[in-house]
Amino acid sequence: MNDPYSVLGVSPNASDEEVKKAYRELARKYHPDNYQNNPLADLAEEKMKEINEAYDQITKQRAGGGSSGGYSGGYSSSYQSSYQGGYSSASNQTYARIRTLINAGDLDSAERLLYEVNQKDGEWYFLSGSIAYRKGWMDEAMQNYTRAVQMEPNNMEYRQALAVMQRGTAGGYRPAGYSSGMDAMDCCSTMLCLNCLCGGGNC
Amino acid sequence: MFGYVRPLRSELKCKDFDLYRASYCGLCRCLRRRFGLIAPLLLNFDFTFLTLALWSPEERPSYCRGRCHANPLIKKQMCPDSPALELAADESVILAWWKLRDAVADEGFFQGLPARAACLALKGAYRKAARRRPDFDRTVRGCLGELARLEQENCPSLDRTADTFARLLQAAAPAEGKQGQVLEQLLYHLGRWIYLADARDDLAEDLSHGRYNPVAARYGSEGDDEALALTMDQSLAQMGAALQLGEFGCRRPLLENIIYLGLPLVQKSVFDGSWAQIKKQKIWRNDT
Repeated sequence: MNDPYSVLGVSPNASDEEVKKAYRELARKYHPDNYQNNPLADLAEEKMKEINEAYDQITKQRAGGGSSGGYSGGYSSSYQSSYQGGYSSASNQTYARIRTLINAGDLDSAERLLYEVNQKDGEWYFLSGSIAYRKGWMDEAMQNYTRAVQMEPNNMEYRQALAVMQRGTAGGYRPAGYSSGMDAMDCCSTMLCLNCLCGGGNC
Repeated sequence: MFGYVRPLRSELKCKDFDLYRASYCGLCRCLRRRFGLIAPLLLNFDFTFLTLALWSPEERPSYCRGRCHANPLIKKQMCPDSPALELAADESVILAWWKLRDAVADEGFFQGLPARAACLALKGAYRKAARRRPDFDRTVRGCLGELARLEQENCPSLDRTADTFARLLQAAAPAEGKQGQVLEQLLYHLGRWIYLADARDDLAEDLSHGRYNPVAARYGSEGDDEALALTMDQSLAQMGAALQLGEFGCRRPLLENIIYLGLPLVQKSVFDGSWAQIKKQKIWRNDT
C-alpha cells in the first residue's frame, strides 16, 4: 500500500487536525452519494477505500490522538445499507435481475429484459430511468423518473433519484474556490468575464 | 469544432493561463508541422481542452519559443510536440473533414462550393490523419452518418441525437485502464453538452430556414430553456464527477476551471443570446 500520508495529501508532520481535515475533504469528494448509478462508481469506491485505510492507518500509528475510524465506519456503512436496502425491496424477480445487471453495467441485457415485462408500473419506469441515466441519456432518465414518481408518489427511492437529477450542478462535490455563486452573476458581469477571456494582454 | 469549451480567464492563475495559451499555440504549431499551412485554420478551444485532458499527467509543462502562425512577426511561448498534441491535431483534421463532407452533401451545387473548396484543400491532410488514426476516422464517419439519418427522420429524442456526437467525442480518448474509463465518461458528457449547446445556439436560425433542430423537435418551436438547461447541467455534473476520479497532474486546475466555471458561463450566454457576440471576438487580441 502507498504511504498513507501521500494518499491523504498531507505531510507526515501534519497535525491530527490537518489530517482529519484532509481526510474529510477527500471523503466528501469520493462519497458514494456523488457516484450513485454512475459508470465510474467502482473507481470512486476504490478511492474511498484507499483513503479510509490510509486514515485508519494514521490514526492507529498516532494511537491516542483522537477517535479512530469513527468517521470511516460511518461513511461506508450508511452507504451500504441504503443502497442494498433499496434494492432488496424489489418484489419482482425480473426486476431484481435487472437491477443486478444495471449495477454490473450490462445495460443492453438489462434493457432487453425490461422490455419483456408487459405491465409498466412505477418500478418499470424507475428502472428504465436508471438505465438511461447510466448511459448518460439524462433527458430520458428524467422523464422516466418523473413518471415513476407520478405513479408511486410515496416511494422514497424514486423520489430521491428524481431529486438528484433536479439538483443539476448544485449537488455533488466541487473543489474549494469553484463553489462560487455563478447564479448570482448578472448579465453584465457575464459579458465582462467572457470578455476578459478573449481580450487582454499578458497576465 | 465550435469553440464552446473555454476557461474563465479571470479566475485562472497566471501560470495556468500561460500553460493554456502555450498548449493552444502548441496545438497550432503541431497542426502546421504535421499538415502544412492551412491546417492551423482548424485550431480551436475545444481541441485545446482535449489536448489538456489527454496529456500524460506526469509530464511537466515545457515550453519553446516559436513564431505565431497568425502573425509571424511575433514570437510566442508554445508547447513542443507531444503525443497528446499530435493526437488532438490528427483528430481535429479528421473531424473537420467529415463535417465538411456533411456540408457538401447537405447543400446544393452552388451553396456547397465553399465546402467543396475546403474539402479539396484539406484532402491531403485528411488522408494523412486517417492513416494514423483509422479507428477514430471510422467512428467519426459512422457517428456523423447516424446523426444525419436521425436528422432526416426528424428524431424527437434529444438524447438519441446527442448520443451520436457524444460517442464521437468519447472515441477521441484511447480507452486504457482507469484513466481511459474516466476520460470516456468525461468526453461523452462533454460531447453531449457541446451538441446541446450548439443546438440551442442554432435554434432561431434553424427554425427560420425550416431545418431540423433537436431542441425544437423535443420541446416544440418555442424550446424550453429551463428543461434544456437542467439536462445540460446534469452533463456538467457528470463531467465534474469524472474529472475528480482522473489523474491530470498540473493541468487539473485548468480543466477544473473550464468545467466548473467556463462551461456554465458559456451555457448561460448561449441561453441569453450574448454568445453570438462573444464568440465572434478575436482571441488573444491585444496580445503582443
